Amino acid sequence: MTETDSGLDFRLGMIGKRLKNVRKVLLVMSGKGGVGKSVVSATLAAQLANSGFKVGLMDADIYGPSSALLYGARTLPEEGEEGLTPPVCGGVKIMSVDLFASGRPIPLTGYESRQVILELLALTNWGNLDFLVIDMPPATGDIMLTLTSLGKKGLAALVVTMPDRLSTTVAHRVLELLKSGRINTSGVLENMYRPQVKGGRRTQGRPRKLAAEFNLPLLGTLPYDLGVSRAVEKNDIRALLKTKFAAELRRSMSPFFE
Amino acid sequence: MHELSLVQGIIDAVEETAEERGGKVKSFKIGVGELAQFDVRLIRQLLDDIRKGTPLEDARVVVEPEKSKVKCMGCGKSWAFQELVGSMSGDEREMVHFLPELLSSFSKCPSCSKSYFEIEEGRSVRVIEVVLDD
Repeated sequence: MTETDSGLDFRLGMIGKRLKNVRKVLLVMSGKGGVGKSVVSATLAAQLANSGFKVGLMDADIYGPSSALLYGARTLPEEGEEGLTPPVCGGVKIMSVDLFASGRPIPLTGYESRQVILELLALTNWGNLDFLVIDMPPATGDIMLTLTSLGKKGLAALVVTMPDRLSTTVAHRVLELLKSGRINTSGVLENMYRPQVKGGRRTQGRPRKLAAEFNLPLLGTLPYDLGVSRAVEKNDIRALLKTKFAAELRRSMSPFFE
Repeated sequence: MHELSLVQGIIDAVEETAEERGGKVKSFKIGVGELAQFDVRLIRQLLDDIRKGTPLEDARVVVEPEKSKVKCMGCGKSWAFQELVGSMSGDEREMVHFLPELLSSFSKCPSCSKSYFEIEEGRSVRVIEVVLDD
């Protein structure tokens, strides 16, 4: 009997063993780009670490990685017999393709993006973690399908959306996919709510309705906060933690901190 | 030295395949793709060291170096890694060693200068074949 290459990707077993040491994997997703997934992921990871949890942050947005940038992380993961040990910034273990690409473009086909994600997951020596926060890319392509198919116990999704019709429509598609894949979903998080701008109040309630349609909680409404842009400019996660956005995120995600 | 964890992953996967199928591994074949720039002798040595004392100890192991072939998505021409490596620094080669897909980040097509390569052959280590006793 012969098992060919296509039937035996040994990395899947490696990933399963690595993730056994991780209590909860949280996929931060939205479907649409630009709604603040990366900032939510980075801030939440730092807040969890500050509360004493062991936390990893994986940047799965390999088309436009930004997690390392948000933390000011530049150190290459350390190579060893156990694989690649991620650098630690602000108490968070960070893995991103950008630690290898160093700002260079990363042109990848869908198939190749899956290869990169599998390779990073197989090689990264996270050790024991309470939380692995994964900053997902936009879209519902190879990376989402790969990560939601790992069969990891303790895997959950968090769907971030802006209040507008474009964002909530795309988020709806993501929620449908998560539901059909029976992926545990923690809830919906509304981001960049701006009641003060013209038409802003008209959008109020759309994310809540979206969450309700899927019998999920609206975990919170995060304000559009210019302080976030200023903090991001500093490449220092500590600046992000001082924003109103971060304070509201902490309140919204309080069940995770219990 | 992350080769060790990859080889351990291969041994585990081959063992688990045999367990799932209820057979004993007679032989298995590993390909070592050129892009990952692994030392083939080291991979062979690690395979021998790690499987000692495991059910794979007596299995026949074949380790085959695999030449790389990458296709430029700009002009369609195919290249081997050795034809692209000249313009890369040692650090850049090391990044491709970790993640072969980053070849496109650090190299250009010698023909059309574009940086969109698709890896067709010789990416990294892979299990080509597992043969079980009937």
